[in-house]
Amino acid sequence: MPTQADDTRAARAGFVSCWSCKGPVAAQALFCHTCGAIQPPTQLDHFRRLGLEPAFDVDLDVAEKRYLGFQRAIHPDRFASKPAKERAFAEAQAVALNQAYETLKDPLRRAAYLLKLNGIEASVSRDETVRDPELLMEAMEAREALMEATSLEKVEKLQAKAGADAIAILADLSKAFASDDLKAANRLATRLKYLRKYLDETRARRIALEQAEGTA
Amino acid sequence: MSYSEKLIEHYENPRNVGALDKSDTSVGTGLVGAPACGDVMKLQIKVGADGRIEDAKFKTFGCGSAIASSSLATEWVKGKTLDEAEQIKNTMIAQHLSLPPVKIHCSVLAEDAIKAAIRDYREKHGEKPAEQAAE
Repeated sequence: MPTQADDTRAARAGFVSCWSCKGPVAAQALFCHTCGAIQPPTQLDHFRRLGLEPAFDVDLDVAEKRYLGFQRAIHPDRFASKPAKERAFAEAQAVALNQAYETLKDPLRRAAYLLKLNGIEASVSRDETVRDPELLMEAMEAREALMEATSLEKVEKLQAKAGADAIAILADLSKAFASDDLKAANRLATRLKYLRKYLDETRARRIALEQAEGTA
Repeated sequence: MSYSEKLIEHYENPRNVGALDKSDTSVGTGLVGAPACGDVMKLQIKVGADGRIEDAKFKTFGCGSAIASSSLATEWVKGKTLDEAEQIKNTMIAQHLSLPPVKIHCSVLAEDAIKAAIRDYREKHGEKPAEQAAE
């Protein structure tokens, strides 16, 4: 029955009352489709705010297009002559959209956020100590290897390896979320965090070596 | 943010940097990490025949506060029994180094590293077969 399907969709999307005309508005709508008034941001997760289903694999091109399109629609220039209330709503929407897009476009933040939506505070978002010998040994050994690498060539090799490892982790994260293995996803997010920091260190090391060679 | 003189001193001249032989039965190794900042800390203790910690080494990849906290931790555990070393609390480290609030977790990491090293040593001696086979 079409009405039932519509009801389900409506319930899932969620409707709120327009502050201006009191008519129903979809929770993720920026404007009331009846009176056209700008709406304040509602309690939506970052995925749904950009019209996406919560999942690790998101089409970032789509996310970016929606984000930019929404931002254009609520650009402050369009609200310059509007009442303060509407200007404030547009501003609040802009903040909410920024948060959503910034969270989703970064795979590590997206993973941590997705864990949170699933009721798990990711290790990377917590002030906690981990004792995962395998993961920590990997991080320790990588840094020791970097300290011992004295030539630009060696550092570049380590950097390339770390870059490839980071890409592999993204594929593993995707699999872990797809199979609902949140424990694995949490651990992979931690590995990615360590790997990123290590990548920063390889970059810094490379720059230092390049400068040393340049002045030598 | 300003750092205390003690902290800077430990950071610039860290004590006991290095490694002990982790397969040595008199050595306990603690390896801990803080995922939020991507720090990793290894702290090792060598226990003498009298049951006191005669040597300690550390290797930390992290911020200055993490390095200073682990440096201080190795200084403090030396000469102590395992039970005494276990009493070292992160608050004592944080207070001694006057760590700013956002760096308190570095002292927590150091305390956890001491505990992990002691646990490793005890496991080596208490649950001998499994642990030694693993080495």
